[in-house]
Amino acid sequence: MRTRTMAARRADPVELSVFQNLFHSIAEEMGAALRRSAFSPNIKERRDYSCAVFDGAGNVIAMGDHMPVHLGSMPMSVRAAVDSLALGPGDVALLNDPFAGGTHLPDVTMVEGVFRGRERRPMFYVATRAHHADIGGTFPGSMGLCREIYQEGLRIPPVKLARGGKVDADLLRMALANVRTPVEREGDLTAQLGACRIGSRRLLELVEKYGAARVERNMRDLLDYSEQFLRAELAKLPSGTFSAEDFLDDDGVSDGPIRIAVTLRLDAKRRRAEVDFTGTDPEAKGSVNAVYAITYSAVFYAFRCLLADDAPATAGLLRPIKLIAPERTVVNAGPPAAVAGGNVETSQRIVDVLLRALAQAAPNRVPAASSGTMNNLSVGGVDPRSGQPFAYYETIAGGMGARPTGDGLSGVHTHMTNSLNTPIEALEYAYPFRVRAYGYRAGSGGKGKFRGGDGLVREIELLTESQVTLLADRRRRGPYGLAGGEPGAAGKGLLIEASGRMETLPGKCTFRVAPGDAVRIETPGGGGWGAAEAE
Amino acid sequence: MRIAIDTGGTFTDCVYVRDGRLEILKILSTPRNPAEAILDALGRIAPGPKMEIRHGTTVGTNTLLERSGARVALVTTSGFEDVLAIGRQARARLYDWLAEGEPPLVPAERRFGAEERTLWNGEILQRLDEAGLDELVRRVRGARPDAIAISLLFSFANPENERKVERALGELGVPISASHVILPEFREYERTSTVVANAYLAPRMGHYLGSLREQVERGYHGSRLHVMQSSGGIVSAELAAREPVRTILSGPAGGVVGAHRVAKLAGFERIISFDMGGTSTDVALVDSANGQGIETTNESLVAGHPIGVPMLNIHTVGSGGGSLAWFNEGNALRVGPQSAGSDPGPICYGRGERPTVTDADLALGRLLPEFFLGGAMQLEEERTLEFLERTKGPMESVTAFAAGITRVAETVMEKAIRVISIERGHDPRDFTLVSFGGAGPLHACALARALKIPRVMVPRFPGALSALGILLSDVASDSSHTVMAAPNDSKLETAFREVEKRLGKQMRAEGWRAHGLRSADMRYVGQGYELNLPWGPKLVERFHEAHAKRYGYADEKRPVEVVNVRVRLVVPTGGVPLTRSPLGGKDASKAVVRKRAAWFDGKLRSVPVYNRDLLRPGNRFAGPALVVEYSATTVVLPGSRATVDGWGNLIVEVS
Repeated sequence: MRTRTMAARRADPVELSVFQNLFHSIAEEMGAALRRSAFSPNIKERRDYSCAVFDGAGNVIAMGDHMPVHLGSMPMSVRAAVDSLALGPGDVALLNDPFAGGTHLPDVTMVEGVFRGRERRPMFYVATRAHHADIGGTFPGSMGLCREIYQEGLRIPPVKLARGGKVDADLLRMALANVRTPVEREGDLTAQLGACRIGSRRLLELVEKYGAARVERNMRDLLDYSEQFLRAELAKLPSGTFSAEDFLDDDGVSDGPIRIAVTLRLDAKRRRAEVDFTGTDPEAKGSVNAVYAITYSAVFYAFRCLLADDAPATAGLLRPIKLIAPERTVVNAGPPAAVAGGNVETSQRIVDVLLRALAQAAPNRVPAASSGTMNNLSVGGVDPRSGQPFAYYETIAGGMGARPTGDGLSGVHTHMTNSLNTPIEALEYAYPFRVRAYGYRAGSGGKGKFRGGDGLVREIELLTESQVTLLADRRRRGPYGLAGGEPGAAGKGLLIEASGRMETLPGKCTFRVAPGDAVRIETPGGGGWGAAEAE
Repeated sequence: MRIAIDTGGTFTDCVYVRDGRLEILKILSTPRNPAEAILDALGRIAPGPKMEIRHGTTVGTNTLLERSGARVALVTTSGFEDVLAIGRQARARLYDWLAEGEPPLVPAERRFGAEERTLWNGEILQRLDEAGLDELVRRVRGARPDAIAISLLFSFANPENERKVERALGELGVPISASHVILPEFREYERTSTVVANAYLAPRMGHYLGSLREQVERGYHGSRLHVMQSSGGIVSAELAAREPVRTILSGPAGGVVGAHRVAKLAGFERIISFDMGGTSTDVALVDSANGQGIETTNESLVAGHPIGVPMLNIHTVGSGGGSLAWFNEGNALRVGPQSAGSDPGPICYGRGERPTVTDADLALGRLLPEFFLGGAMQLEEERTLEFLERTKGPMESVTAFAAGITRVAETVMEKAIRVISIERGHDPRDFTLVSFGGAGPLHACALARALKIPRVMVPRFPGALSALGILLSDVASDSSHTVMAAPNDSKLETAFREVEKRLGKQMRAEGWRAHGLRSADMRYVGQGYELNLPWGPKLVERFHEAHAKRYGYADEKRPVEVVNVRVRLVVPTGGVPLTRSPLGGKDASKAVVRKRAAWFDGKLRSVPVYNRDLLRPGNRFAGPALVVEYSATTVVLPGSRATVDGWGNLIVEVS
């Protein structure tokens, strides 16, 4: 430990800045290539993807400013690919198995080794992960209310999609035969391959320019530097034990709230911390189970946010943190648990719980709870304009929790997600939908000295017979306030039939609609911060 | 007589031709009313009647940056009034809980919904009725706007409803910006943002350009005022006043055009322009070797607002000579984005106490105190070293600190150049770095070396290149239309003709005879981003090629579609007033005015200082050397060789 820190101190601060920028810009460029050449609105418009660069041991060196939920979970994909496959030059691993390096089935990851000259060990890995709008299974969009993973879609353990630069056409055919929109899937997978190619090309240029030894040294220094960064921060936080809990409404197939609990043990003197999820409920029957990688990402994210904006988010960051996530709980599920919602709903609640504990240690730095759900909406059917099947997936933003420094922002994605909305003009062009309204949900932010941000309202009319699936939370209790602030308004869903009949929708549900029916989603507001002054 | 006038933060630069010779005048700017300096300059140049005055303005940029524009009312389709504020539902910074967002230019109380709806295919689902329109006019009037923006859903597919709203609101007598005119393209947020920015700038730009035009026409009989657009083309002041969103990068666009033109004359077709000023650096890539002119983008972000009209693909980073150096919490050295500005300015100006890039340059011996701005300003060297010593943090010496500052600043700029070159599939080794702006030539050689750019060109008048670019720019007007059709659809020809007709009418009204350049935004059916290709034979083939180059793959089985047709009408500007002199002797020693101790690669060396005005075409010399002139200093690194070409450009071959 000591020698590592010393090494980091000796590292040239200028050189560190240079290489941090270089690696980061490669990850960003991979993302840009993926976005610009992808086909599904969820990738090209909403940017639901991540790209990252790893050293030869699989430590993450740089990740683009993409999806925080992938921060800690991408390295596990690389680890899983490397452990089960011997990746040679031009080989690309494909995987989505949540129990072998994945998160939930729609997130499909590719990992490629980057080899220098004729060397047999890769000097780097690059990885791209994208959320595909459908990966098969019982429900279009593959985000439905399932009880086991076999219903959720096609499960891909680490396999070689390409060998020596050549795509395995049989494997691809097998995969495409199991999804609802194979043409779009093939296009998106090709775009992911292209992004990997661009990443490895750039890394090799870097080596050519600076020499392998210097690049290697800087990767090591960046890892140490991230560690040092977080340790300096931990030294400033008060020592102590801080506990918090919060709940998911239900798991969609059985009733009753699901508890997530955390105990945070901060040790300023030894500059380390322990994050212990003991006390969390066991695996749920429905699909809100999170695999370990997601819990790891949530912890990574929370500590990353304590650091300055320009801190490099490398694998070194979490060295001072010990994570305890008991097996077979909703924060560390095992097969064959259903996991679609773990990545999008449970991940947010884990952050809520972590922040609630952190707020006790650093009350002036932590915001109240944000919407705490991604409001996942999936729709599938056949587009009458083309006769082709379609699969739509989108998440809808909500209110941000109020901050100790001011009101929360309205209608933004927070914490573990960063995906954009689908422009209405892109949506109606791509799908048989008509958007009736998209705006702020006035008054939904929690009251307080500072108000929580307002949620959003999105009302979509379906123009053809479709299967609609909603996977959302914070329908029973709103996001908590802090320091005396009130909670934000809970979310709401409505089915508005063509006849005018209205029905309130549960947070997690799936149903068929007729042409002219509409779904209206009202997302939660953020919690307030500080007691509101009497008016 | 044609005069180009570029208003900058410090200087107003004028470039014009008198008796066949290019002349330059620099006077101090008058930021509160830029027209004062312009009229003053015109008076000094003392031209006659019938002048063509071409203006590069910062009024638009500054209005956006300072948020000092109009009180805009926005009309959207009912139910979508918040689209402008929601944007793409993304937060400002990913890992900062306390970051604030950029509030929209129109607050909620001035956003109004019209009861109407047009569908994706242009079909009108709901028409506006008279009663509804009256009510809308009443509500908008109540908001007392001084400009109006209208952006209805799918207005590009069928503008009928939008035109109705536009006509009805006409009675309010304020400038109206309608989305089917300003930007008839899909993605409602980006379109609305652009239209709102236009409305936001319209009253001030209208007033500024209107009164400047009037004074020019009154003072100089038969003269006309034109304005440089961000896309690199000149338009009339009238059009610029109506569509001010097209002038946001007016000045920097002049710099890119200037760099492109002078480099082309000197024989360099592939360039990276590098314009480093006090607070920011603008970089752009121009590759005219493969037939592409200067590249434009429709995805700019200015002061946090998406702007969808074409702008030259200029990448700006907040790092310049005045950028402050500091250590972050992890003790890493950072430079910028905060700047010392002109008040207090860098330490060496005498008042600042925090180190800047300029101070580092001075400490390394690369600036000469007595030659700064021709000696008009004396730099304080001792004071600089003193303060650098106090602020050097963990660095072992002032020299190491100064070298670190320049290197970090150069890394930020290196990254900026990577964004526009390497990240877009260009190899810097194929380019010439054209360096200008006050601080550009100081760092150009180091940047070139880092990026393996083989050559640096410092044009003859690096401080007035933007004005020169404006003088040389073509008159040009752009328009586009979303079509979403197969490349062989006859609809395309109809769309092209319509756009050409509309643009042509406008140009003829201004007395210009223009010819048209057609291009198409293309993609594989189902993609969300397009590649722009010149219209013509082998269109689809060329698309596949471009796609493979940019994204690493092409798929010839996939159908291709044209999303937008684009037309640019151009009136070429003739007569380049630059002259080439025959090359003389190689000996440059007559231009050496002194020696200076300067740090290179960790060693203090005595290097010759050349006076640019004394250098002659054909002269050659080797680095390390410094070249001083009125508005810039060029650093020639050890191992590099400099020559003066027939046009007076300094060409440095970087080792």
